[in-house]
Amino acid sequence: MPRLPGALATLLAGSAVLALGAVAPAQTSTAALQAPAADATTDDASTPPAVPTPAKPGVRPELPVQKHYELANTALENGDHDTSLYHYERAVAGQPDDLKWGAEYRQVAIAAEAYDRSIEFFEALAEEHPESAHVQMNLGYAHVDKIPAEGAITQVILANTALTHFSNSLEIQESWLGFYTRGNSYMYWPAVFGRTPLGIADLEKAIALADGMEKLQFHGRAWAALGDGYWRLDQREKMREAWQKGSEMYPGLPELEARLAKEGDELDAYLDAQFETSRRVATHLREIFGGEASEDAP
Amino acid sequence: MTRFQTMGRPATLLAAALLAAPALANDMDAAAAKPAQSAPSVRFVEVGEAAGARIVHTTRSFGDRHKAQVLQMFTEGGAAVAVADYDNDGDDDLFVVDSDEGKAHHLLRHDGLDGDGIPQFTDVAKAAGVDGGNDAMSICADALWFDYDNDGWKDLLVARFGTPLLFRNLGPGKDGDVTFEDVSAAVGLTAFGNTIGVIAFDADADGWLDLLLGNYFQPKNLLALETPNVLPNNLDYADNGGGVTFWRNVPLEGGGRGFIDRTKEGGWSHHTGWTLDLGHADLDNDGDQDVYIAGDYGTDRLFINRGDGIFDDVTEDAIGFDTRKGMNVDMGDFNRDGYLDIYVTNITDEYMKECNMLWHNNADGTFIDLSKETGTCDSDWGWAAKFADFDNDGWEDIFTVNGLRSRTDENYIPVLLEVIIDPQTDFSDVNSYPDIGEMTWSGYQKQRYFHNLKDGTFKEMAGPAGVDNDLDGRGIGVGDFDLDGGLDFYQTNANQPTLLYMNSTESPGSWLQMTLEGTKSNRDAIGARVLVTAGGETYLREVNGGNGYASQSTTRLHFGLGRAKSVDRIEIRWPSGATEEIAPAEGETMNVDQILRIKEGKGLSR
Repeated sequence: MPRLPGALATLLAGSAVLALGAVAPAQTSTAALQAPAADATTDDASTPPAVPTPAKPGVRPELPVQKHYELANTALENGDHDTSLYHYERAVAGQPDDLKWGAEYRQVAIAAEAYDRSIEFFEALAEEHPESAHVQMNLGYAHVDKIPAEGAITQVILANTALTHFSNSLEIQESWLGFYTRGNSYMYWPAVFGRTPLGIADLEKAIALADGMEKLQFHGRAWAALGDGYWRLDQREKMREAWQKGSEMYPGLPELEARLAKEGDELDAYLDAQFETSRRVATHLREIFGGEASEDAP
Repeated sequence: MTRFQTMGRPATLLAAALLAAPALANDMDAAAAKPAQSAPSVRFVEVGEAAGARIVHTTRSFGDRHKAQVLQMFTEGGAAVAVADYDNDGDDDLFVVDSDEGKAHHLLRHDGLDGDGIPQFTDVAKAAGVDGGNDAMSICADALWFDYDNDGWKDLLVARFGTPLLFRNLGPGKDGDVTFEDVSAAVGLTAFGNTIGVIAFDADADGWLDLLLGNYFQPKNLLALETPNVLPNNLDYADNGGGVTFWRNVPLEGGGRGFIDRTKEGGWSHHTGWTLDLGHADLDNDGDQDVYIAGDYGTDRLFINRGDGIFDDVTEDAIGFDTRKGMNVDMGDFNRDGYLDIYVTNITDEYMKECNMLWHNNADGTFIDLSKETGTCDSDWGWAAKFADFDNDGWEDIFTVNGLRSRTDENYIPVLLEVIIDPQTDFSDVNSYPDIGEMTWSGYQKQRYFHNLKDGTFKEMAGPAGVDNDLDGRGIGVGDFDLDGGLDFYQTNANQPTLLYMNSTESPGSWLQMTLEGTKSNRDAIGARVLVTAGGETYLREVNGGNGYASQSTTRLHFGLGRAKSVDRIEIRWPSGATEEIAPAEGETMNVDQILRIKEGKGLSR
């Protein structure tokens, strides 16, 4: 196995990561989750090309990656999505395992509705870095990001492609985030396709991994999702049992409290709404980097 | 200022149009939070067998052709119904389409009521000469009654995956029975197309009905495939469909009327989608007929008439592009704001959540989809849907049929999924799709009846109304078949028996019906707009020429009038542009609960 950068190794060990859902801010150091800048030296050649161009396979940093990152954020603050994407791509290309930078890049792509650009960028990056679980993860998320903007059939194709990349990520490195993410993705498939049991299996693995990790509140979301899986299978006793057990382990977790407080039609309507395919799922991973809790996730 | 407005529109309606539209969204929010209103007494009784109107439709079998099942699967339609009084005896008859090779259509002549008040129908298709069309190289898919030559007798167009058939109504013979002759070639309708829907309206206001044909596949004969790449090239953005063809009604050199292809000149040729249905109405209240096209596998389109039969595609600005599976178009003023709204069915199923579209007319050239807010979003795998005031309370309800293919317990969807998610799949290739065998695909779905709650929302009540059958519905022909003032309807189903639902609503409101006859306008008065004012309320209807998938409803306009005891005024804007007002003389009363005949420029003719 290739040697992993320090931050990536920490992340894959399941220290503090989250794919989907709304929780309180992570209570772990975010510094450990960010890969260090490869080169912090400054360069005067910081002016972007007059017309930023989409990333192509083989895109390379033209400046120190930290400089690209700063320019990307400056452009974003100025509402210049194209320039921001240009610099983000070069920053991420220079630091492909940085989950945070990749996630931030995707959020700019969402704002710019540049879904295909994001997918193509991570596809190219994945070709160049086949050993990176995080690139595969971001590539999967890039497909998920596009789903709300697409038609019903294209949504299916995107969801399935995302699953492939989430699986690739897990093959490279198993992690709580990997199982939780893929498990949730399975949950979005209608029951008729029989993928719910696969989701339940992944979530159980995530829960098992969490046992050996530092206890973090948002790990409880796996229990919420597990109950959702049983709800999809109409196994109501197991559903409530999962939520109850999760609630005992992670008291006060809003996702679990909300589910446990509902019954019957109200519960069904609530969960139906969570799995509305046209609803945008939060894939910014902000919580794991110490950001605000998300309210737009299942 | 539009012609509509200059004819002296009642202040009540104008005020409603000005006030109701902007307030609607808020009203709906409020309505959503309110408890359900008391259940209406809308009821139907199914009498198809007793009426002699039970027909079992058959879709086209492709025999032992290569990938026959796939082709059959993609042509799982054709169960169409067209309602009209073809023999001018005062009651509406039914034409019911079959689709399999050699199978006859059915012309169900209305022969009056039996002792129980049930209409009695006799199938006279063969004797009348309209039973044919399902030959070895053609598949019949839709039907339309319209008087193409303005002779006062409704002619019959049968749309096919093939060349269309136009049967000219010859009127009654010596025996008194009406017969028809095939004039398709003589009138110039000889072009091949895979036509699945057709509407007739006077696009250029010249007094003659033109034809707009909606074509599903490109004009390649599925019964003699030269290439396997005939299916949609994308399941959300397909652009390799048959589009539409526009046929202008013109005089023939030797006399009589014919049709000439004016698709390009009319502004239609850039639409290359998979048309499933068409609907027309005056959507911008400027006096001419506009068109909405429901597209399968891709965007619907809205065309606005310049007034001279040339249309502008305003889709992007008016409704935006969509990726849904448009199945049906009907127009009605569901919120009574004086502007016609549009209802489109799509697919909302356990695996695909598109939602129908109830396009609220914003009265500024744009529309907003309020299907979720109004409670009309979900009708499963939708097909035909019709606006109609079934309980005569003055507010138009919606009945919609659904269901694709009901067979065994085995589900085709997971099988199909494997094809869809394969990145190598060429969706256009018939070889890409697995055979369906006897599997079910979105079958056994219950029909929906959305009752208008008068507050901008609807309540689904198919069960209490007795119309929640789970057949594979396709078409809906609405008419008052027992002439009691309550709207009945005929439901066609793919590969299954038809149903005739008679309205047995308890304590319905009062009503008014009218048959219009054009003189300067087309004889059928298609496109005429009528405002009826009664009890202080004003109601809007237009005569349409075949709106709704696999359906044509009666052209006799029906107005539910709530608790009104008399009619104050009738205002008509004819397709010619002429306007007419009918009101009782001072001191007199115009009764409700009657059927009127009104001739353009001549007023009431009893």
